[in-house]
Amino acid sequence: MTPRALVLSVLTVVLSAAVLPAAPKKKATKAAAAPVKVQPVVTTPVRPLEDRPQIWHVWTDEQGRKVEAMFCGLSGDIISLQTRDSRNYRFSLAILTPEDREFAKACAGQQKGGFSRAVVSAAAADIDRVVEARLLADGQKPNRPATDEEFLKRIYVDAIGRTPTAEEASAFLADASADRRERLIDRLLQSPGYSLQMYNWMADLLRAKDILGKRLPAFTFEDWLKARIGANATWDVMVKEMITADGRMLDTGAAGFLLFDADMPLDGVSNLITTFLGSNMSCAQCHDHPLADWSQRQFYEMAAFLGATDMKNESMLGEIRKLSRADSGLNKNFVRLIGEMNALRLADTDRNRLTFPKDYKYEDAKPGESVKPSLIHWDEGDARRQSYAVDTKSPAQLRDQFARWLTSPDNPRFATNIANRVWRKVFGMAVKEPVDDIDDMSAASNPQLLAHLTQVMRAARFDLREFQRVVFNSRTYQSAASPMPDLSKGPYLFNGPIVRRLTAEQVWDSVVVAAVGPSADNILLRRGDNLKPLTLPEGKVTVALVRQAADQMRGMKGKATAKKSGGGSEAGLSTGYEGEKPQTRQGLLLARASELPQPAAETHFLRVFGQGDRMLSNSSTVDGSVPQVLQLMNGPVARLLTDAKSHAVLNATKESGPAAQVRSLYLSFLARNPTPAEATAAQKALGEGLALTDLAWTLANTREFLFIR
Amino acid sequence: MSLHEFADRLRNVEDRRAFLEKAATMAFGLTVLPALGGAAETAVKAPTANLPGFGKAKNVIFLELSGGMSHIDTFDPKVGASKGPGSAVSTKAGFQVTSFLPNTAKISDKICVIRSMTAKVGVHASAQYLMRTGFEQRGVIQHPNFGAWAQHFLGRSSQTLPASVCVNRPSNQGNGWFSASHAPLPILDPSAGLPNTSGVGATGAQEKRASLLAELDRGFGATVADTNVQAYNDFYASTFELMRSRDLKAFDISAEPKAVRAKYGADKFAQGCLLARRLVEHGVRFVEVRSGGWDMHATLEDKMEDVGAEFDAAFAALIEDLESKGMLDTTLVAVTTEFGRKPSFEGGGRGHHPLVFSTVLAGAGVKRGFVHGASDAKGHGVDRDPVTVGSFHATVAHAAGLPVGTEIMTPSGRPMMIGNKAMPVSAVLA
Repeated sequence: MTPRALVLSVLTVVLSAAVLPAAPKKKATKAAAAPVKVQPVVTTPVRPLEDRPQIWHVWTDEQGRKVEAMFCGLSGDIISLQTRDSRNYRFSLAILTPEDREFAKACAGQQKGGFSRAVVSAAAADIDRVVEARLLADGQKPNRPATDEEFLKRIYVDAIGRTPTAEEASAFLADASADRRERLIDRLLQSPGYSLQMYNWMADLLRAKDILGKRLPAFTFEDWLKARIGANATWDVMVKEMITADGRMLDTGAAGFLLFDADMPLDGVSNLITTFLGSNMSCAQCHDHPLADWSQRQFYEMAAFLGATDMKNESMLGEIRKLSRADSGLNKNFVRLIGEMNALRLADTDRNRLTFPKDYKYEDAKPGESVKPSLIHWDEGDARRQSYAVDTKSPAQLRDQFARWLTSPDNPRFATNIANRVWRKVFGMAVKEPVDDIDDMSAASNPQLLAHLTQVMRAARFDLREFQRVVFNSRTYQSAASPMPDLSKGPYLFNGPIVRRLTAEQVWDSVVVAAVGPSADNILLRRGDNLKPLTLPEGKVTVALVRQAADQMRGMKGKATAKKSGGGSEAGLSTGYEGEKPQTRQGLLLARASELPQPAAETHFLRVFGQGDRMLSNSSTVDGSVPQVLQLMNGPVARLLTDAKSHAVLNATKESGPAAQVRSLYLSFLARNPTPAEATAAQKALGEGLALTDLAWTLANTREFLFIR
Repeated sequence: MSLHEFADRLRNVEDRRAFLEKAATMAFGLTVLPALGGAAETAVKAPTANLPGFGKAKNVIFLELSGGMSHIDTFDPKVGASKGPGSAVSTKAGFQVTSFLPNTAKISDKICVIRSMTAKVGVHASAQYLMRTGFEQRGVIQHPNFGAWAQHFLGRSSQTLPASVCVNRPSNQGNGWFSASHAPLPILDPSAGLPNTSGVGATGAQEKRASLLAELDRGFGATVADTNVQAYNDFYASTFELMRSRDLKAFDISAEPKAVRAKYGADKFAQGCLLARRLVEHGVRFVEVRSGGWDMHATLEDKMEDVGAEFDAAFAALIEDLESKGMLDTTLVAVTTEFGRKPSFEGGGRGHHPLVFSTVLAGAGVKRGFVHGASDAKGHGVDRDPVTVGSFHATVAHAAGLPVGTEIMTPSGRPMMIGNKAMPVSAVLA
């Protein structure tokens, strides 16, 4: 469907307001409610982005080492490259020769290729018109525009995952130019923090975890994810790489996504359908879905696309086990691990082995009967879409065919799913909630908004940075925030973003930068390379090689081990950092959350503030608790922030006079100037024996510190 | 009207609401009154209040054996092909347990074993979710755990301590759809107690900080009408209260006599059980204590001698300790696990098996020295009186005086009942 046709198709939409759900019954129909007539808005189709040019170059570093690689992107001083073997690298520009540094900057200028300002403004204005039309139909109005101070904290947190420092905040607040917000958005989207915060968001969605199953390190998946985000790889390309990856996770990081569920492939299918299509099929895994239209048969037909994919190399495993039995000197635990790491891989076979389950109880197939792959569709017309023309004849091609359909712009849900999820990320609520169930798009709070966002996503060709650039420039995003709405009274129609608690990672990253300054954005962790010596050649495994790998493993002890359901250890991370190394203060390793164990240890600040365990997709929370308050009031983080050497306190100390010092701390912790009353109260307290460190403690413990308003 | 008829009517969704309205006005009676505030706004009638044991349990302790306790190797010994490495031991209560539970055998007259638990989920995370909440896991809604339900109906249980605490694991959104103030307070290391509590409020500077905080927080914290911000106001208030509270010592198990600590054991689970007793003693209504390591696919015998023995010692010590303090009549201890393990013994252990498994209830509101239900000869399926996880929750809720069978509305407008519409197992109530 072309963008224009898509727009036209939503012109006649009649919306239903949210209503009390009907009593649960099979195939429940949506309860009827008085439909709200919305004046349809004619939106302008967004002109799609063009292909990005590929720039190949032989890069040379200061030590004279050379590598041929494709330029993928430059954010701040971090360059991303991809070599011919599809490996991804990101590192500090500083290690390259001066000529290559200049060349990289030139590439970045040439490669930008994002939406023009005019396109961004037009697409953002259409968001506002579609939102306002829906609000109007409901007798509501948008919130007042956000102040510069409100906008400042929000855009820093959303675009680079942390609050601004005092210097960054005052630079923006002193800027009187008319396009200051637009320029700040552009600058932040190109800075290193953008990749770090996108990683945190995707790590939660894709379950990036240091350790899979029983102590199998999965650092290569994390490295891949970081490198692809750093290169601003588009979402469709990333998803395609994950679904079509071939080989061991040890070599091919992207394989880690499917291999997460190697022991439970059907759960894996269910998870991927939810994650990438927002389709609520998971119940149909075991029985016909009680509330939606999915049948168990449909679930199995989808799963059949991965039916010829083999995830465990049994012959490799057997080979290593045999050697292990023959030589009793080998450490059994290490050998088991090495065996599994080498055996865990994605490979296409020439036979689709999926059969209906033994307890299959419906009449449309027999238990044990083999399953023919077939794609789900949401509307009658879907099957006629060009993306549905898949070739299912060759089992070895099934996964590739599936990935092509899945990530096609023509797929009925792929673009909408990611647009809806990113919208939720920055507004605090999706257009269609829950994000894991967008099967019925007409049940969105504003279906035309969902359609418009889908169109913007397609035009951005799944470049999430460009998509967010549009959203950030909308008046809707730049409005004052609403308190958490009571949805039982009706859907939320986006009078503005919602007041949100910062995610665990956003709180932590703000704390780290308040403690050591913005250089924390440049500390990068890469650990997958340490695993390479554990790779064994198939069919040629020898005792000597296994012993060598086991020795390597022993050397990594502490780095590669973590409790199965717990979090990772920070011990031994130091060798994994490229360039600048993080400091340790108050027993805390001061790198950004993305560059710490994934997830952090159970008792770490990050976990206490709700970082997910990454066992399930979207497992993070933003709920409060008493231990969180204790951390901020009286824990190591409180001591870190109130240290006279912390970046924020040092900055304040440099100012002359209490008024400027108070202002500096307000900028550091709350990204705004104090009100006159606050300034008076704070200065009075400083005069009565409290130090700047006490004021730092106080500001870090205001509710405002934890929230975006 | 029989309980079965009652339950059937409740299952029929169409006339559930009308029926409940009627039921509430019938002779079922007792009214559940909010205790210390914060409870459901209107007092709720408890439809099962005429059954025995109602409201006897002022406190509830859930012991969560995470990984899947093998029923055959603990509370439901078998002979023949299913028999495990332990032998069956007869107890004074007349039922058998395995030789892995010598201390539990000695307190058999104080506990009620349910041997006919049954569920469908054989995946750890989902099955644990079911056991904690009484509901199957759904992507779209987070169900509350028992403590949050209790707080909703009964209010807080103490002026300064939280109404529920979970030990050895994070809170896992235990408040479900209720506000964050219903979430359990997580204690990850019981011997460390509540971290970061020492030294605050002791000096003048800290008092000054606190009053400056109250002043500077007026602009946002006190004015934004956002439920999440308000939840943090509550957490800050609770934290200040807690730190000034003399009850803070409830979290400090080092205050216990050495002999008592030794009796429980030195491991994390045992320390957690002791902490649980201290907490309920000081007014925390609901405590969960997690024990890990029950996923015994291999080396089951070794693990039973390890985590099994730790559980055995701590559980028996807890029951005896509660009894000696006169608290067993007001405290209900539940031994829970996400599923059982397969009758076939392969590779030194057993696989996941939700079809039949065992749980234990002990103390307030339930029979003592009693076995309810039975598995078949192999320990593969339920032979009689199946008990679902929902009705297990309903039983505990009933004993704790919650209005089982009363529908509440979630913020998203879904009708829900504690125990997911199941009824208490009346045969175990006393």
